[in-house]
Amino acid sequence: METVSVLPEIETKPATATMISGSEALMHSLVAEGVDTIFGYPGGAIMPVYDALYDFQDQINHILVRHEQGAGHAAQGYARMQGRAGVVLVTSGPGATNLVTAIADALIDSTPMVCIVGQVGKKLLGTDAFQEADVMGVTMPITKWNYQITSADEVAEVVAKAFYIAQIGRPGPVLIDITKSAQQEMMTRPFTYEPCAGIVSYRPRLTPKQDQLEVAAKLINNAKRPYILAGHGVQIAKAEDELRAFAEKTGIPVATTLLGQSTISTDHPLYVGWLGMHGNYGPNVLTDQADVIIAVGMRFDDRVTGDASKYIRQAKVVHIEIDPSEVDKIIKAHAPVIGDAKESLRALLPLVHENDHTIWRNEFRRYDAIEYEKITEPELSSTEGKIRMAEVIDMLSRKTNGEAVLVTDVGQHQMMASRYYKFRRPNSLVTSGGMGTMGFALPAAFGTQMGAPDRQVVAIIGDGCFQMTLQELGTIVQNKQPVKTIILNNNFLGMVRQWQQLFHQRRYSFVELQNPNFVMIAQGFGMDGHTCDARESLSDSLDKLLAHDGPYLLEVVVEKEENVFPMVPAGASISQIRLS
Amino acid sequence: MTTYTICVFTSNTIGLLNRITIIFTRRRINIESLTVSETERKGVSRFTIVIKHESRDEVEKLVRQIRKIVEVLAVFGYLNDEIVFNEIALFKVSTPLGGKAIDVETVNKKHKAWVVYWGLDYVVIEKTGTETEIFDFFAYLRLNHEILEFVRSGRVAVGKTEQGLVEYLPEADWAYYL
Repeated sequence: METVSVLPEIETKPATATMISGSEALMHSLVAEGVDTIFGYPGGAIMPVYDALYDFQDQINHILVRHEQGAGHAAQGYARMQGRAGVVLVTSGPGATNLVTAIADALIDSTPMVCIVGQVGKKLLGTDAFQEADVMGVTMPITKWNYQITSADEVAEVVAKAFYIAQIGRPGPVLIDITKSAQQEMMTRPFTYEPCAGIVSYRPRLTPKQDQLEVAAKLINNAKRPYILAGHGVQIAKAEDELRAFAEKTGIPVATTLLGQSTISTDHPLYVGWLGMHGNYGPNVLTDQADVIIAVGMRFDDRVTGDASKYIRQAKVVHIEIDPSEVDKIIKAHAPVIGDAKESLRALLPLVHENDHTIWRNEFRRYDAIEYEKITEPELSSTEGKIRMAEVIDMLSRKTNGEAVLVTDVGQHQMMASRYYKFRRPNSLVTSGGMGTMGFALPAAFGTQMGAPDRQVVAIIGDGCFQMTLQELGTIVQNKQPVKTIILNNNFLGMVRQWQQLFHQRRYSFVELQNPNFVMIAQGFGMDGHTCDARESLSDSLDKLLAHDGPYLLEVVVEKEENVFPMVPAGASISQIRLS
Repeated sequence: MTTYTICVFTSNTIGLLNRITIIFTRRRINIESLTVSETERKGVSRFTIVIKHESRDEVEKLVRQIRKIVEVLAVFGYLNDEIVFNEIALFKVSTPLGGKAIDVETVNKKHKAWVVYWGLDYVVIEKTGTETEIFDFFAYLRLNHEILEFVRSGRVAVGKTEQGLVEYLPEADWAYYL
């Protein structure tokens, strides 16, 4: 192992007189790492660890979920609120493979997570033993790092390294596969814990190079139509203040990606909207008119660029990014700045000139007016037919003053939530962006509430998504977390239906659902709830939801065949954005 | 198609080969040859991976993605003229009683190859050189003899720059590897 300690031993636990087991070493290591919450599910190959956990209940709050995928998504929500790794504990074989979706989701959305997975005993490895799966092989492409522990002596060092790797640089999921024999056997030396202070082969650059900053500053200072695209990296680096200061000094308009939303308040005069397939009209179209793009902590996902070969060919690109492999991956950067978003923006601030770019900024307002007239206004002012998703989100936004944390699933409701919720506080949107994992929201909302007990957490879920992980209602009720769940029920897999309508001549292939009684299901789990299917009662329904003491489920029956616009058709260039 | 030689320096860990090759698989890049050995630094392995590719941009992206692996210390992508490279081949050649004798002089002097094992009715010839030289020799042998088995090692290469690996590592860590 190449863990090198630069710091003197700072937090070394006193060596215990008697030797301890691998499982106990794992518990002590987690406590030393400051872990107080774990999401997990026991099983055969992890039982020694659960036995050790029994004696640590006063220090570690273990949350028993209903399915391992739920543990993963809950840990993701928790991690995004806490800004540190969420911890998952599951058994071997099916326990681990059930977790795979959440690991892949965490990797693509840069969410720190430490997954501890049981494995069969060392002697049984590779023998097709009961509940044995090659979890190392399965998770290798979807983890930032993974490691198999086969002896108790390795535990402390590997746990320290796991937390370090998960959290430093561009965060991501790591996985520790620990054999049952390593859990059971006794250490051969006294237990000590030393936090990992660095790894020789992994030194992410946090502080940008001066020459890169100067090139970037020159481009920005000479720009006539500069444009900031702020991504998830801003939120991960907690660089919201630096972003705002940078934008305010330079007068440059700011758009965000899907996951970059809430990094700047929607009522800030420099905020122009969000980007992407269903993002705002002006922010998308005007990327093609900017002369300098300042991309901060974003990776030019294809949902943002549309056809990348036609994207921002006219512009010079400043790319502020912590992961060097993202630079030039999709879009060539003329001025790459490798570093943490917070440090980079802070270092760039004194190098850029004050400006206000009023004329350029006003162009966004012109497009806003068109979008409002063609889309927003009709969506929000309809008086006939069923309730529209936009109305629900808009009303929720006003009732919560834009200060709730929204946890959204994947599909039309996700896009509508982003379009109509007016975020006013940082770190207020938890969603599955890169992976687009249906079933993410309910368990993630639970984890989000655990990670942010002082905030109002509202899960916005579609009727299709809800049925993928609805068993986690049980986890929410058992742990008395006041998660508010809104199901926007259109009895369809709405986004797929929309595509079938627009691009497949309305050939609705397997998108209509025969849904259960959602409120009755919630009640079956011991959660209160009710259904709203009339526009007149929507306001009262939302009031009831928000005021309820404890978890609550509100089903809103919405228009069946509603479409999300604007829309950039898949594979088209963003200039081909459609308003209807 | 251009030949690229990618040299990857890593700490010696189980499973790392898999992690590296996954990156090639994902991008549907075929590996022409791959060799791994420990370097002059204890605990540091060197992977030499040869690929053919049309786009330098894509190869650069590949190199950056390999660099991202936690255990990878350094990665270099080289064109042929930037490296000294070689590989080794073994030929098992049939020498039946009454068959054509091996022309040892041609084998030695023209092809710089050596008989390294004499079996009862076969010999094993070792040839070191570039792919071209090895295939020239292969053609010569096949014309005159029956080749029972043929195996190539894959390329090994060192860069032509004057720096050693250690100079690419953070200075603070030199002591660790020296």
